[in-house]
This record gives sequence, C-alpha cells and structure tokens, in this order.
Amino acid sequence: MADTIGIWVAALLTLFIFSFLYKDNPLYKMAEHLFIGVSAGYWVSYLYQNVFKPNLYNPLFHQGKLLLIIPLILGLMMVMRLFPKIGWISRWSIAFIVGITSGYYLITYLQTNAVDQVRASLLNFSQINNIILVVGVLSGLIYFFFSAEHRGVLGGTAKLGIWFLMVAFGASFGYTVMARISLLIGRMQFLLGDWLGLLH
Amino acid sequence: MSEKLRRKGRGCRKGGLIPLAAFIFFLFLWDGAWAEDLDTLPPSPPREVTAFDTPNDAGGSITLTWRKSTDDGTGAGDVTAYIILRAERKEGPYKEITKLPAGAVRYEDTTTKDGVDYFYKVSVSDGVNISESPPSQAVHSKAQWFNFKRLNMLLAGFILSLGIVYFISRARAGKELYIRKIAGLDAVNEAVGRATEMGRKVFFIPGILDLDDVQTIAGLSILGQVAKLTAEYGTKLEVPVCRSVVMVTARETVKEAYLDSGHPDAYNDEIVHYLTDDQFGYAAGVDGLMLREKPAAIFYQGAFYAESLILAETGFSVGAIQIAGTAMPSQLPFFITACDYTLIGEELFAASAYLSREPRALGSIKGQDLGKAIILFILGLGVVLETLGITGFSQLFTTQ
Amino acid sequence: MRREIPLFITAITGVVFIIAYFIPHPPFNQIQDLFQTWFQIIAAFAIILGVLNLMVVNGDKVYRRSKGWGYSVIIILSFLVMAGIGTFKLGSKASPLEEGTPFMYLFYNVYYPLTSTVFALLAFFVASASFRAFRARNKEAALLLTAAFFVMLGRVPIGDYLTSWIPLKWLHLSTIANWIMAYPNMAAQRAIMIGIALGIISTSLRLILGIERSYLGGD
Repeated sequence: MADTIGIWVAALLTLFIFSFLYKDNPLYKMAEHLFIGVSAGYWVSYLYQNVFKPNLYNPLFHQGKLLLIIPLILGLMMVMRLFPKIGWISRWSIAFIVGITSGYYLITYLQTNAVDQVRASLLNFSQINNIILVVGVLSGLIYFFFSAEHRGVLGGTAKLGIWFLMVAFGASFGYTVMARISLLIGRMQFLLGDWLGLLH
Repeated sequence: MSEKLRRKGRGCRKGGLIPLAAFIFFLFLWDGAWAEDLDTLPPSPPREVTAFDTPNDAGGSITLTWRKSTDDGTGAGDVTAYIILRAERKEGPYKEITKLPAGAVRYEDTTTKDGVDYFYKVSVSDGVNISESPPSQAVHSKAQWFNFKRLNMLLAGFILSLGIVYFISRARAGKELYIRKIAGLDAVNEAVGRATEMGRKVFFIPGILDLDDVQTIAGLSILGQVAKLTAEYGTKLEVPVCRSVVMVTARETVKEAYLDSGHPDAYNDEIVHYLTDDQFGYAAGVDGLMLREKPAAIFYQGAFYAESLILAETGFSVGAIQIAGTAMPSQLPFFITACDYTLIGEELFAASAYLSREPRALGSIKGQDLGKAIILFILGLGVVLETLGITGFSQLFTTQ
Repeated sequence: MRREIPLFITAITGVVFIIAYFIPHPPFNQIQDLFQTWFQIIAAFAIILGVLNLMVVNGDKVYRRSKGWGYSVIIILSFLVMAGIGTFKLGSKASPLEEGTPFMYLFYNVYYPLTSTVFALLAFFVASASFRAFRARNKEAALLLTAAFFVMLGRVPIGDYLTSWIPLKWLHLSTIANWIMAYPNMAAQRAIMIGIALGIISTSLRLILGIERSYLGGD
C-alpha cells in the first residue's frame, strides 16, 4: 500500500515538473515549493547526521578531541549573525574560510592546472597532432591576453585561439547530449514501467 | 652459463640406455616432483642491500634497494620471489613483511615507527630454496621539513607571485596600466541600465558551490560591482543563494556596495535570500523566480554544474540580458549558447578588477599576463628542445 | 578593528596553507584534511541561518497573506517534516539514513523523483540551446556545432553504423570524434586551464594581501 502511494506520488511529481516545459502553472509551483522545502530539510538532516554528529559532537564530547573547539567557536561566530549587535564577529569565520580557500586554490591550481598542463604540452613536433595540440594551447593562451588590444598578429592568433575554444566547447556539448537524453529516458522508463506497468 | 646451472647439469650426466629408460620410467612415476628434487641449489642472494629513510615524506617509511640475484632473469633464471625481512636487532629475529615478484629491486616499507632502528634482509626464493642477503645497516624513519620534489613548484609559485606583486606595486605607484576591452564586462552597465529602464529586477546567481571555492569568491566580488550599479540606478537586485555561508558573505558584499555608493537606505537583507542547499532544488526555485519576476538582467558568476543550462535557458525564455562567467570548463558551452555574454575561465577572475578599475587589482591582471608570457616562452623553448631530442628541460616541470 | 582582524586571519591562514604544501612533516601534512572538516562544521552551523531565512521569508508571506502564500505553506510544512524526521528521528528509532525509515521513504518517493526530473529537463534545454546555436550563422557557432555533431554521433552506435562502410578508418565517425576530443579539444581545455590557474593565483594573492576585501563588508 505504502509502495503504491509512493509510486503515485513520485509519478505525479514527475509530471508536475515536466509541466514546466509548457508554462508556469500551479502544479509546477506546488512541486517546486515542495522541492525547496523537502530538499532544504534533507540537507539540514544530512549535515546534522553526517557532519555535525560524527565530525564535531562525538569526537569533541565523547573522544575529547579538543582541537575541535576551534571550528565549534568559528561555527558559533557564524550563527551570531542572528544578533545584529555582534553579527560582525561572523566575519572572522568568513575570513578564515576565505584564507584557507585562497591558500589551497593558489597552490593546487598552480600544480594541476598550470605546471602539469605545461609539462603535458611540451611535445616534440614529429607528429602533426602534436603540432595541432601545441598551436592550440599557444593561441588559446594568447586569446586570454589582457594587456594589449587584439589586433595584428596578436589579434590573428587570438582569433585562432577562439576557434580552438569553439571546437572544444562543441566537443563538450556533443559529449554531454547523450548523457542528458539518457536521463530523460530514465524518467520515461519510470513513468511507463514502474508507474503504468507498460514496459516489461 | 652460471655456476649454478653447470652444477645442475653435472647431476644428470649418466651414460647408457638402461639407466636412461629407468630414468624415463621414474620421470613418469614422479611426474613433476622430480624436477624440484633435483634443484637443491639456492639462487644467489641479492647484493648491495641498502636501507634508508624515505626522503621528502611525513615519516613512517623506509626505502630498500638492492641488486638483483644473478639468477633473476639471467643465470638459472629460476627466481620466483624476493622476501623482505625486518628486525629491530641485528641478530634478529627477522620477520617477513612482504613478498615481491621476481625482478623487484626496490621496496618501500610504510609500516615503520619513527625513531625506531630497523635492520633489513632481502632473501630470494626459487620456489624451493631460499638464500638471504646479509642484514642492512641500522636505519630509522623520520618526517622531513621540506619536500625537495616540490622545489620546482616553489620556484614556479615564487616567480608567478613575484610578477603579480611587482605589477600591483607599480600600479600603486600610480603607473597607468592598459587593459583591453572585455565585451561581457562592458555589457554590465548596459544590462543594469536596461533593467532600470524597464523597471524590472536584476538577478545575480553566485553559483552553486560554497565559499570554499575561489570561483564563488570571485563571483561575489563581481556581485559587489553589480550592486554598486543597482544602488546608483535605484534598480531592484535579487540574489537567491544555495549556501548559507554564501548568503552571509553576499549580504556583507551588497551592503558594502550600497554604503559605498551612498545609498545605504536602499539596502535590506532581503536582497540576498536562501533557497536550499540542493543543486536541482535550487535550480527549480530560481527558475520559478525568473518566470514570476521576469528580471531584465541575469548574472551567473561563479561555479556551476549541470544546472547551468536549466537556469540559462529559462532566463533566455523570459527575455533577460544574460551575462555568465565560470571556470567550470564543462559548463562553458552551455552558457555560450544560451547567454548573451560569457566570461571564460580566467576572465571570471579578472572581472571584479576590471569593473572596479582599482589600480592594484588591475596591476594583478598585468601580473597574470606576465605569467602567460613566461608560460608561452617555456612552451616554445620546450617544444624546440623536445624536437631536438633534449628531454631534460621538460623533466623540470614534472610535479609530485 | 572589525576589518583588520579578519584581514589578518585571511592572510595567515592563506600563507599557512601554501607553506603546508611544501612541508611533509606533521602537522602540516594533515592541515588540508583538518581544515576541510572544519569548513564543513562551520557550514553545518551556517545552515541554521539559511533555513531560518527561508522560514522567515515564507512565514512572513503567510502572515501577510501575500500573493501565493499557499505555496509558502508548502515550503514550511515540507521543510519541517523532512528536517524533523531526519534530525530528531521522528516516526522511527533507526538512524534516518537507513533503509525503511520514513526519511528514506520521502527521499525515494518525493526528493528523488523531483531531483531526477529537474535534471532530466536538460534533455529539452540541450535541444533548444542547440537549435539556437544552429540559427546563429556565424563562424564560431558553425565550428561549435560541427564539433558537437561529430562528437555526438561518434559516441553512439549509429555513428559507426553510418560510416563503417568507408574503407579509410580515419573517416569513421568514432575516429573523428576521438581525434577531436584528444587534440583540438584537449589543446583548448589546456589553454583554459592554464588561464584559470593564473586567474586563481592572482585572485588568491589579492585576497591574501587584502586588496580584494569586499567580502568583509563595511565598518
């Protein structure tokens, strides 16, 4: 019984969301607001069960890992936003997050996105494909040059760079299309198979 | 032929037909077992067993190297395994810690306790016989204070940062710096202006990731510039967010912008509001807001995943001017097809500096260009050297 | 003081994080995992602010009976139910994330169909976006579409079915698709990645040096 109700609810919600493609309507609005509420509730539960309890409450209060007092304080500082008089203290937590983010990203992107990519592009010109690859990297980089107007040789190279970028964007576009269609097929299978029982 | 093989061969040399027949008879009788019985000679032990603290690590590891047994691959060629033995005293007892296949010349023991002296032996087996190397010298593991394998990264980081800081200080000294036009950013004014004329809202979507992603921070810096414009023009701004930390930070940013442009009264906390942490729940909610509020301009600046196209297509359908910017390469094609302007990768990070025209920030963009020039030079030089067969240069850029 | 201390905190944590990358010695080698956990904890606290905001905004709509207040009731109720059974284990003694609990029942029958259907909307949006790119009629759009066409067909059986009769293997759609992915696409991706790295290094430096500080708000 519960399963049957579940499938019906799931099927109707699926149809309500699809109705958005026609136009905004009360059924979509209902599903949309339900989605916001349920998902916000889901994430609150998730953070409580999978972060707060196992990463803070249990280790701090049951295993005595006192270092966790620091994130506890930073977390509480964040919540101080609720009180306008001392809300500014949340900036300390924000500053902490911005600090670790900028330090972490600076060094990891330097490695994975800059040095590693340069290393991978140092190829010999014995193959035409290698030449295409290196020319693509060089012209693409020149497109991102900000210090000079894209005119003359620089402009021409930047233009070549744009062409490479467009081919790449097309390639990722084409690469994704089938994955998106299979998502739709998945929902159709649910509606026609699990709900209506038309597929066997 | 190794000595061992010669010795083995001698054992079989018996003359005469009858003994040969008897031998074949026994051969059938014993099947494979005889061969093992025959091999009574152990393989030659591994030589030059050296143990040393594994460099550039956090401790807890000792590396062993040795030269192969002469019967591994060459000679009798019957080595089947190397066995690593460890003891805390030279005289033993030695305990087996692992077995490695033939051909091995190196092992990293990652089960050591820092500060404890260990002795190692490497023994070699041919499946029947075993011979052991003499014990290694005493060795203990410890953690290091610098990872020398990352020296190239230190240099790269230092040079690039120095370049950026140099241009920042030049800009601070009052040197005029030229930055080319970036179409998407020149359109920001136009977009906000259009919303003002039409009396509709401006939407700003700072991505779906939290403040622990630099793209989000870059997006919020752009929000600061957009908010200055909406404050000046008296246009309504709405910033739906899907992360609470981003909500708090975006409020600070917008408030500061309104204060800065002399319209603190026009600010209220409701400009920035939270929907849900959920990717598609957020997308559904923002889609609904777009359809009902019909904003005239929509900015997508930050980190996006699959929801990029859901948002941008809906934004297009309500006729908004859309300016996107992200460093998520997989989402760029979708923004490019659905939005009027798209800031590609690096342009997202240059945007707030470009819009603010703050000299020091502009200086940092110049620094980025210096970085690009250096990389172009390295690529050019490296490709020439590689083509000439000189590979040492590119090895310098291998990271670990 | 309200700005100086935060700027100081950002600078110190940023620099420590960079230095830690080069130091294998504890505790520097664990800093990354440690701070990642700390961030999650801060975010877990912060969600209180987010959902309170959601409740206040919608509660206000209901209170004022403003247009569409009924939908606000849906948000409030669905949030309270989901968060209630997920956090306080209402309706079941078992951990909410275990199979068979009311929480998981709602997850499978409400949350999951909603999330996967919104995701599936993309199939339609991809079609409408391609159609628009098709009408753009400039060189860039043509390049994008051509590459998309080859890669899309090269990845499905029908692509090879259409071209398998051609004796020259490099003219098969899957070969062309793989070549596009491996060379022109890879080249441009690398240029984008290197650009992003430089942008991030520069942004991070601006943050650590305190040049970019709009995130801290005013005094």
